[in-house]
Amino acid sequence: MSLDTHAHSNPHHEHPDVVGSRNRMGVILLIVADASFALSMMFVFFYLKSQNVNDMWLPKATEDKAAIEPISSMGSWNITAICLIGLIAHYYGLRGVRKRNQTQLKLGGLIAFVASLVALVYQVNIMATVPFTFHEGAYVACFYLIAIMNIVHILLTILISFGNWFRSTKGIYLHDHWHVDIVNVWWTWMVVSSLLGAFALSFAK
Amino acid sequence: MSTTLTKTHKKALIERLNVFTAFGLGILCAVVAWKLSLALLPQDSEAAPLFTREDKITLISMIAWFVGFMTGIGALIAPFRWALGKDLSHDENMYYAGKDLGVKRYFKFTTDHKVVGIQYLVITMVIFGIGGILAMLIRTNLGTPEGGWIHPQAYNSIVGTHGIIMIVGTIIMVTGPFGNYIMPIMIGARDMAYPRLNALSFWLIVAASIPLIWGQFIGGISTGWSAYNPLAGQAPLGMNGYIMFICIFAISTMVAGANITTTVVKMRARGMTWNRTPIFIYGTVASVALALPAFPVFFLSQVMSGMDRALGTSFYDTARGGSGWLYENLFWLMGHPEVYVILIPAVAALMEMAPVFTRRPLFSFNVAVMGIAGISGLSILVWAHHMYMSGWAPLLNAPFMLTTELISIPTGMLFLVLVGTLWRGRLWMTVPLMSIMALLWNFMIGGITGIYLSDVPADAFLHGSMFVTAHFHYTLMGAGLTGAIASLVYWFPKMTGRMLDKKLSWISFWLVQIGFNVAFIGMFIVGLQGQPRRVEAYAAIFNRGNLITTIGAYTIMIGMLILLQNVISSWRSGQKAPMNPWQAKTLEWTVPNPVPLENFAELPVVTSDAYGYGRKN
Repeated sequence: MSLDTHAHSNPHHEHPDVVGSRNRMGVILLIVADASFALSMMFVFFYLKSQNVNDMWLPKATEDKAAIEPISSMGSWNITAICLIGLIAHYYGLRGVRKRNQTQLKLGGLIAFVASLVALVYQVNIMATVPFTFHEGAYVACFYLIAIMNIVHILLTILISFGNWFRSTKGIYLHDHWHVDIVNVWWTWMVVSSLLGAFALSFAK
Repeated sequence: MSTTLTKTHKKALIERLNVFTAFGLGILCAVVAWKLSLALLPQDSEAAPLFTREDKITLISMIAWFVGFMTGIGALIAPFRWALGKDLSHDENMYYAGKDLGVKRYFKFTTDHKVVGIQYLVITMVIFGIGGILAMLIRTNLGTPEGGWIHPQAYNSIVGTHGIIMIVGTIIMVTGPFGNYIMPIMIGARDMAYPRLNALSFWLIVAASIPLIWGQFIGGISTGWSAYNPLAGQAPLGMNGYIMFICIFAISTMVAGANITTTVVKMRARGMTWNRTPIFIYGTVASVALALPAFPVFFLSQVMSGMDRALGTSFYDTARGGSGWLYENLFWLMGHPEVYVILIPAVAALMEMAPVFTRRPLFSFNVAVMGIAGISGLSILVWAHHMYMSGWAPLLNAPFMLTTELISIPTGMLFLVLVGTLWRGRLWMTVPLMSIMALLWNFMIGGITGIYLSDVPADAFLHGSMFVTAHFHYTLMGAGLTGAIASLVYWFPKMTGRMLDKKLSWISFWLVQIGFNVAFIGMFIVGLQGQPRRVEAYAAIFNRGNLITTIGAYTIMIGMLILLQNVISSWRSGQKAPMNPWQAKTLEWTVPNPVPLENFAELPVVTSDAYGYGRKN
């Protein structure tokens, strides 16, 4: 391999755009892995539903127990809507920082952070109030799987959106804002993954 | 945070944390979680399946271990500092990179890719050491038909643990040490794209190993490495160790996959176009890019397995709406690409070495790339050939037979490239070159026997027999491990600044290769005779083949011990290596020994490909 060892470059101080572009790609690749996980969950849901092994997707009523009825998917769609609000708010902040409007960034970031907290409370509330427990059929198992994974996603989003907002209050994004761009990628995925769960739960019957 | 600062200031948190604080905090968290869950978790109700409380306690303790360990090693400092707006300073990043830390840096959350590469090399050797000891226990027990000196339950656990340990060892054996140490230098970069994720991927493996070891003391892994459900759902508590191990390892693989792929795509030296990018880089990227979507599926299968055990859900329990086929699908959706995750970088490493030791350009670089791409693409379309005999979707047997047999075409391309490079070359008879020959022989046997197994009628006879075991050892060990050992010999001078002892390298090479072929030809024989796999005793008619296999296994062991001795003694006091002992043309040989912290004083600009042997540039 022939070389020119007298290349003029200053690698110790890379331009923020270069670092941002690289980090954006890494986050997208991690999301590819996460998407593979989420799509596999969809496969599990629809596979078990279509198989309905021993008629136990939704167990029928017995002498001791009432039949298992799927809960309304509205709750899941509401969480998706809350996440969408978070995404829009974050995007509003991103547009602000692109115009060097720090106030808009802080406001958008704060709303997005609050939205992630609301989504967590809402999701936990849904799980706490369902009329069944873990071992009552395949639908119930899938419901809990989707709900738990949603909680994991939301917890990550809370950390990320808190950091994003808190850093904006410290004026860290005055000069470059690639972190905010990347957080936007994550928020977009958060909405999509939540939507996938809501979509699946809409076809429980 | 330079070392001079540390003398005048109170030690900062990142300076205090190391592997000892990690183990300490991990153990403390596990014990506290165990005590708390023992005290607080309610007894199982009558409606709940058996043992879920014990499974909950075990899994909670293992999760606590994991969180404690990762906190104790310092993996969480940077994310929380980011969230609090206190980004690491340049000095702190240099500290993380191990600047001026000497040998201590190998025991810390060090981000320098070369440290991570050495850490991977050592842990790979430890993994193979443990897996090898378990293999010798298996073969010793199978030395006589009646077996018997290992309890059947313990024997099952040894087989399962040997399997999963060796699979993980072979997954990381090339991309771990050489993908981390060599790859960034080879593409002309100063480090990986995400140095902290790089350190994270390594320490996750260390964190994962403890639950697996822990599991051995609470019932073991009695299901074989594949941990099929619902069998795994009924297995002892040790199964939770397997579940945690796989979940953590899957995260490590995903993180490493994103890191290596980004590094190669975004950080290649100026002028290193895709046509000038060394073939080893293609192999490494193909491997990790394949693992990136494949391992989350495995991860999910184990999350569900854990939920079935600890929460009483019914993903795999047919009595309550679950399906064992679901597990098999998820498992093999990862399981077959994983074979190529192991193989591709090992073969690519040998393709990298072929021009060096034949002093010829790589024969048809484009065919090599197409072969790697073809294998990667097809490998995600073959998973159900593992399930022909399971009764799942018989109508799909023919399409899966077709896709599986098609994969021999891109594999043949890689053979063509290797043979074409050797053809009429001026062969420099070194261990790496002989390893290419060994790979061609072993992989040919592994590949052809794979075609038999991909064929539905033949598989009906051979499925579940020792023939299968011999087949996959020929691919993963005969081809994969051969490539990894050749990589060790080839890159050892750059990684350690010392040459491996030539004589000991040859002795270990021949012992391993002869022992390997003796062992697994014997296994093919008993497989064809009908001996099932995973049995701790067998009929007397299989005695001769098993005895041959056991003799072969002991020969491998001797060869491996000599290799280990060679690595240790050469590392400590071997002959000092020149900067470019093989007169190779890739970038890693242009940097001095020991390689400086940021590899290059000036980033190189590449003006031709890496295989210009015989040309004047």
